[in-house]
Amino acid sequence: MNEEKLSYEEQTKITRAIIKAAVLMLEFGAESKLIELTAQRLGTALGVDSVEMSLIPSAIVLTTLNNQQTQSVTTTRRAHHKPINMAIVCEVQKMCYEVEKQKLDVDYVFKTIKEIKPDYYNRWLVVFMVGLSCASFAYLYGADWQAFVITFIASSVAMFTRQELARRKFVLIITFIITAFVATFIAAFSQIFNLSSTPNIALSASVILLAPGFPFVNSVLDAVKGYLAMGWGRWMQAVLLTVATSIGIILALAVLSLKGW
Amino acid sequence: MDNIILQYFINAIFAGLPAIGFGMVFNVPKHTLIYCGFGGAIGYTSRALLMDMNVPLELATFLASTIVGIVALYWSRKYIIPRPVYTIASIIPLLPGTFAFTAIINLISMNAHGVTPELITIFIDNSLKTIIILGGIGFGLALPSLYYIRYNRPII
Repeated sequence: MNEEKLSYEEQTKITRAIIKAAVLMLEFGAESKLIELTAQRLGTALGVDSVEMSLIPSAIVLTTLNNQQTQSVTTTRRAHHKPINMAIVCEVQKMCYEVEKQKLDVDYVFKTIKEIKPDYYNRWLVVFMVGLSCASFAYLYGADWQAFVITFIASSVAMFTRQELARRKFVLIITFIITAFVATFIAAFSQIFNLSSTPNIALSASVILLAPGFPFVNSVLDAVKGYLAMGWGRWMQAVLLTVATSIGIILALAVLSLKGW
Repeated sequence: MDNIILQYFINAIFAGLPAIGFGMVFNVPKHTLIYCGFGGAIGYTSRALLMDMNVPLELATFLASTIVGIVALYWSRKYIIPRPVYTIASIIPLLPGTFAFTAIINLISMNAHGVTPELITIFIDNSLKTIIILGGIGFGLALPSLYYIRYNRPII
């Protein structure tokens, strides 16, 4: 229990700092358990008695209690989901750790959150590595080397498209439809011109870069740890992205009048 | 015998590469990238080993992701990095991406060209596989951390 009394204004400021960190973690794809734990530890370190929170996929409701549980501040924030970025989640986690260790105050939290700038990987390196990743999948599924090369080209170009669309701040669903279209369109050349004996593998491996692994796995992790609403929300998000990808694939196959995988 | 080991080794490298590539897409911190690669190789190789011992695909995926979860638990304690940073990039090679897309494409073509028994068979086959494998991955990754959660409050 905290001996010194916080004024209402001070407690509101602390609550705002905590929810800012929590919203940041929710938006960039952290697991619910991690968000709740971080918020509670940050609250204890900043000097409130307890932090209670309610998580739903699109918002956070957070209450801090203080002065022998007699003074409570509640606030709500909307969360807008953004492309997954683990560097930001790690930064928030590290900040929480430092506040705990060095007994820093609430101004430090505001300052750090404002200054979080993740260093991104070189975009051409990412394009190359994602192309290589999808080509590796093609290899693991048993493709010949022509299909390997075609998958590499198709998914590299698709990744470049995805980056361009992400830079123009398009909604994820539109990004996924267009990217899947591009990937399938290029990979389908292997079937049209008979370049490879395993065109189906090239077609299916080139869109693997769009498999929404993060929401799907997070959804199961949340559900088994007792955050059922979050689990359903993320499952729905992942299904939507899978459907969007399939629409892109079907559009490309229809344009080229191919039968399918 | 040497050939089999070499094949496992090559496959492990080709499974580690996607884990690193997708780690970059998720923008994980730079020093964790190499562990994502190792995690991917460990996950894929253990699943391949189990499947060679005639364990069914779903169960093998579950056990492989449990192994990844335990290894990641150790790494996350050591470097104070949240576990999903390692685990989700590591299980990318195990994901049933192709099954999922095939299921949805079949669903849409059932609507377009009419329902036939073959299409229903393909759809149910693929979507069952997708859901069970995804559930297996999720449970496998969660098990090591669920072990540390206890109902430590007295009920009465």
